[in-house]
Amino acid sequence: MILNGWEAVFFWIFSIAAIFAGLLTVMARNAVHSALFLISSLMAVAALFILLGAEFIAGVQILVYVGGVMVLFLFVIMLVNVGAEEQGLSEISNKPRQVAASLIFCLLLVIGLLFAINTGYQGLQKRDEARLGGTTEQRRAQQQNLATGATGTSRITTDTQQVGNSLYRFASLPFEIASVLLLVAIIGSVMLARTLKQEAAVDDVDPEVLLTKVAQEADRAETLQEPT
Amino acid sequence: MKSHALLFAPINFVDDLLLKFFSPEAINNVVWPFIQIGLVVTLVAGWVAYATYLERKISAFMQARLGPMRVGPWGLLQPIADAIKLLTKEDFIPDKADRGIFFIAPYIAVASAFIVMAVIPFAPDWGVITDINIGLLFVLAVSSVGVLALILAGWSSNSKYALLGGLRSSAQMVSYEVAMGLSLIGALMFARTLSLSGMVNAQSADSIWYVFYQPVGFLIFLVSGIAENNRAPFDLPEAESELVAGFHTEYSGMRWSLFFMAEYAAMVVVSAVAVTVYLGGWYFPFVYRFTEAQGHHNLYVIVSLLVFVVKVLAVLYLYFWLRWTLPRFRYDQLMDIGWKWLIPSALINIALSGLGIFLVQALNGWRGFKTIESISAGLNLTATGKALMIAMGLIGLFITGGLLSKINWRSRDFNLKLQRRNIRLVNLPKGKPAVPAAAPVAGSEI
Repeated sequence: MILNGWEAVFFWIFSIAAIFAGLLTVMARNAVHSALFLISSLMAVAALFILLGAEFIAGVQILVYVGGVMVLFLFVIMLVNVGAEEQGLSEISNKPRQVAASLIFCLLLVIGLLFAINTGYQGLQKRDEARLGGTTEQRRAQQQNLATGATGTSRITTDTQQVGNSLYRFASLPFEIASVLLLVAIIGSVMLARTLKQEAAVDDVDPEVLLTKVAQEADRAETLQEPT
Repeated sequence: MKSHALLFAPINFVDDLLLKFFSPEAINNVVWPFIQIGLVVTLVAGWVAYATYLERKISAFMQARLGPMRVGPWGLLQPIADAIKLLTKEDFIPDKADRGIFFIAPYIAVASAFIVMAVIPFAPDWGVITDINIGLLFVLAVSSVGVLALILAGWSSNSKYALLGGLRSSAQMVSYEVAMGLSLIGALMFARTLSLSGMVNAQSADSIWYVFYQPVGFLIFLVSGIAENNRAPFDLPEAESELVAGFHTEYSGMRWSLFFMAEYAAMVVVSAVAVTVYLGGWYFPFVYRFTEAQGHHNLYVIVSLLVFVVKVLAVLYLYFWLRWTLPRFRYDQLMDIGWKWLIPSALINIALSGLGIFLVQALNGWRGFKTIESISAGLNLTATGKALMIAMGLIGLFITGGLLSKINWRSRDFNLKLQRRNIRLVNLPKGKPAVPAAAPVAGSEI
């Protein structure tokens, strides 16, 4: 994609904003500030999606991540006690092992990025100027075919319909499986978070009584199974 | 233009004036939108000021009082006096507040309420600021950012009442957002587009309001919209009897009034979306025939704008009416309504609307029935098809209501604790046993 004019200006503004907000997310001392910077980063990425012409993804990004996930994040942060290290002014240094691990992963990421950029750049260079011009022309022609918006200046793209069609026609099974996965995750986390003690507390029963009861149940099950 | 165009010459005059300074492209893409944005922001801010007056007057009349009467005739200058008072008040920041977030929170609230206005079609042609293909999604997404403002305000104040208000508001708004989004899907099936102007066009092409096809969806949207705006009877986040003033307890002066502004602007947004999606937006029968068809284009736009404003005001009156007639819900009741009633009924509504559209399409051409005229701009039905669809909508209302009242019948009596005891822990003694070994012998309990 070749950027020019205002598109390029907005691309640089939002990409730099996304990077710096991402950096500040990990550098902020306060958990709520971290979450806020993450929100700014997500917003900037949503703006980049709009520049790519993927309005639906941008809308969903804000609706799901900013309006849903991050709100729940903040909810949890506010319920959890603030750690002492967040409030002091002394420098926080990580353990050498953590630093080493993060450096290794950072190196891997940089190598991957360099590889990807190189391949992508070679691919870009292979296309000659005429073809590049052709794609811009094609893009413009496609834009002309779209329905005009109510203001008369904008065009209504069919981005959302395309996402819906491809999601439900060609990927309905993975889509359903993903939703089942989320359900399993919810139930699993509830089950994992509840201990026997909590279960007993809900039933107004002493944990010891419950344990003896469970043992008796197991015994009875064994005695019932023996004759058969 | 025609002779009557002189009546609305100012708009053409503005166009001519602008053409002297800017290129047509710049006018279309930059200058006109800025004029429209300025007008909308000014008018909505003016509405916010007078909404406080209206609210006080309406509540006064409902309670057989007179309301504000001192400032100006019939107290009409009261909002201006209030604004002066708020502007000159001390801007107080609590000692231990998180200053940055405390400053930002009111602006997030106002911005998220006002940005949504960009996609709302107030009227055809120059009554639209912008028309994007994700219009409805944009409305939901940006108004969901408004929740952040409430949470952040509650947290940054460093006060227990404010924090409780913020937590309540986040729980409430996250749960009602789900119902709100799901309730709109039924109407989307008919309009076949997410663009709000496209939805109005689909309704005017079909010459019907979607509230007739989607009575369930409309009711769910209204209720969850009121909850989403934290208005009574869902104003738990600012319940004054328990939380002082909820999330804005520590705010004063202009910052406090920004929250107020955001609340009233969000009310306008929700009622405008309700009007656009379910009540036909600026579309009203007969308007087109007497104006646009006879060449009075600007008159057509202005009458459409008036139609839209009247519809929005009617929905807004409902807000005031409900606030002063219904008592506040308890917190558990609030969650019950959201999760046990609204979300299941929204899901049922989606299934029933899909079934209804399928039936109408299947019946088209069967034994000479003709139900569908075209599906190019939304689902366009014939008279038979409309009658069928309205009937199915009403039946759906009863099915949804019946099914959910059957399921939720005496759901408050549903005692999970008791049931668990009955199922798994029959005759187990409560609390701590006197002697640990005193548990009942196996087999004696049945």
